[in-house]
Amino acid sequence: METTAPKIKNISPDETLEVCARQIIVNYFHQMMSYKEGAKEGRDIECVHDMRVTSRRLRTAMDNFGACFPEKAFNKHYKKVKSITRTLGAVRDLDVLIARFEKELSTLPEAEQTDIRGLIENLQQEHKAARKPMLMLFTKLEETGFETEFLEFFVGAVCNPDEGC
Amino acid sequence: MAKAHKITGVKPLRSYSENARIILPQKVEEVYTWEPFIRDAARREELHNMRISIKRLRYTMELFRVAYGSPKTDSREVTAVDDKRFAEFLSVIVDLQELLGDIHDCDVVLEVLTDYGTQSEQRVVARGIAKRIAQAKETRNADYKTFLDKWEHLSAIDFKQKLLSFFGAACKPKTCY
Repeated sequence: METTAPKIKNISPDETLEVCARQIIVNYFHQMMSYKEGAKEGRDIECVHDMRVTSRRLRTAMDNFGACFPEKAFNKHYKKVKSITRTLGAVRDLDVLIARFEKELSTLPEAEQTDIRGLIENLQQEHKAARKPMLMLFTKLEETGFETEFLEFFVGAVCNPDEGC
Repeated sequence: MAKAHKITGVKPLRSYSENARIILPQKVEEVYTWEPFIRDAARREELHNMRISIKRLRYTMELFRVAYGSPKTDSREVTAVDDKRFAEFLSVIVDLQELLGDIHDCDVVLEVLTDYGTQSEQRVVARGIAKRIAQAKETRNADYKTFLDKWEHLSAIDFKQKLLSFFGAACKPKTCY
């Protein structure tokens, strides 16, 4: 199930794209990061899902608004968001598969249940392995001050109307 | 997964509204680059890429909704109609995304089941796995048919042109420079 579009308040269609772009990117970023602790804990699979979907929305906004920011630094931040989506994706895909097969279990005859249990165990091992790169990435992002750098760039960085981007 | 097409012609210092009319048509075109492949049910990769492009279009539409008939603008009657039409277009896009999502889910399940079934030391794929494979294939065929029927219906009513006309429609004087 797709997460509902986050509400971006106070966007005026008459405002310049540059101003709106900063506001939207910062807003999506905050929403994405709000799911991080839940994703790290791993108790509620929806946190990984919500963080992944919001990271995708953020990337789409960045794809659309890239022209509003200095290219080199923008690309650096973009790549980091992309790596967040990628590592979350690996975990989420397995969450979905495990949930699907677990749901099916109770509807199956005993002999078939054994086959599917074997598959689920296999997927659970893959899931455990897939969480490692995600957790490592979060640690790396925390250690390198990604959040602060990202926000400083998008809150502060604007094109100079006289010089362009 | 294919990369997003590079957006061109964006004008950072022009209005959000004007840029909506520059960006959204390009997102529509990205979706339609996959159209030549989708009548072949076996083109998994292209069907998946179309799904991702549709997702990008959906998210972009949600970003720019305020530029098409926001209740905040002055001419309430016109904007209410625009907002309703926008919602109708968005609902079609969400539908397509979900239909392609169902196909992709089946493809992933089939791959997982097949890999697991063949990695076993036994010569014959376990019964429970073989049954799930057969079911997933059946569901995939049905989901693909539903998607293609929907797509052909949209083509028949010239959905793409309607979408492009709506997105590219002249800006209201107040919102464009």
